[in-house]
Amino acid sequence: MKHPSEEHDLIRWIDGEMNETERTTFEERLKLDPVLATEARQMRALSASLRVHLPAEMKVPHADYFNTQIGVRISQMAQDDARAKQTSPGFGAILQWFRQPWFALAGAAALAVLGFFLVNTASGGASESMILSSYTPNTNVQARTYHDDGAEATVLMLDGLDAVPAERKVSGINIQRSEVEPELASTTMYDTKGIAVLMISRDALGNPMLTPRG
Amino acid sequence: MPASASTDPGEVSDLDLVKRSQSGDTRAFDVLVTRYRGRIYAMTYHLIQNETEAWDLAQEAFIKAWRALPSFKHDAGFYTWLYRIAHNVSYDWLRKKKIQGDGEFDDERTEHRIAAGAEATPRGDPAPDAAMTNAELGQRIQESIAKLSPEHRQVIVLREVEGLAYEEIAALIPCSLGTVMSRLFYARKKLQEQLHDVYETSI
Repeated sequence: MKHPSEEHDLIRWIDGEMNETERTTFEERLKLDPVLATEARQMRALSASLRVHLPAEMKVPHADYFNTQIGVRISQMAQDDARAKQTSPGFGAILQWFRQPWFALAGAAALAVLGFFLVNTASGGASESMILSSYTPNTNVQARTYHDDGAEATVLMLDGLDAVPAERKVSGINIQRSEVEPELASTTMYDTKGIAVLMISRDALGNPMLTPRG
Repeated sequence: MPASASTDPGEVSDLDLVKRSQSGDTRAFDVLVTRYRGRIYAMTYHLIQNETEAWDLAQEAFIKAWRALPSFKHDAGFYTWLYRIAHNVSYDWLRKKKIQGDGEFDDERTEHRIAAGAEATPRGDPAPDAAMTNAELGQRIQESIAKLSPEHRQVIVLREVEGLAYEEIAALIPCSLGTVMSRLFYARKKLQEQLHDVYETSI
């Protein structure tokens, strides 16, 4: 193995990154070291081949469809944004509760409790869902979601989560819609059958309170 | 950083198209997609080495760019900005793939053979081995690139395909200049080992 500085000199010589003095010195060295000289020439030839055979521009397969799909997704995003704005104004504020530090402490006893809200965005009963918010009490765990078109499913990724024992039951609630009652400062969430499954409200101290329903 | 595509005198500039896109003109954005899709796809393809995934990731890059357009300040060229997004999307995908323990990146590799000289503009010396056709050498190179680690493939693509300076590569990854040079050295060394029959007989 070469010393890093030798590797760097070789790379900089191949890439033409040396100044005149450095280049002259290095090429003098090549004359005295045939092994290094061979390696340098082979590596330079390889570099030239790479530049020839790795095109900077390629023909996109089904290019028209590529553009069309982007347009469709942009249109869907615009619709989602519009629907999100129509969602009750109190809902976002309630979701903020989940981000409060004390709430993290309350959930710390659990391995990882996930506040995860799915709202069906298509009133006509289509299958797309929108992730409004996610929360993990364990700050080392990052929750991410994405929609897998192939599987027609929303995929939840929990990065940093310790191994979950096989006997631990993991469950979730599929929220179809929510209704806000401003006077009571509460939000009731309904499942796909229209049954109320969870209510979020505040207790006497103004702290959020999750009450299972039904 | 990668330069934007050359524009014909009568062609609408990136700046105009970006401004129109920022005001919600999806047709203007479609022109930008058409203008840069070939370069973005080439970059994702070289990094991912899978035609389907590269296609999806290139599309994802454009969608992310659309979402981020309101924050685009015009202090960098649109392509440079777009390129960063596409690079990050692709490299995040590679990292996830690595975390998931899928060390082989060519499992589902499709036969997307690049005919040498067909879609590429040769920018270097001719291939060294006259006995091996351009197409054969191109295929060997693609196969060898696919076997590199994501980190090594990344520096090769950024340097050899995009022609980025060491400083630009270091800023994009991000890492130190020394790391860029070391990765370039070992990436080329590995390629050299895989293609030793080509270069040892011709030099």
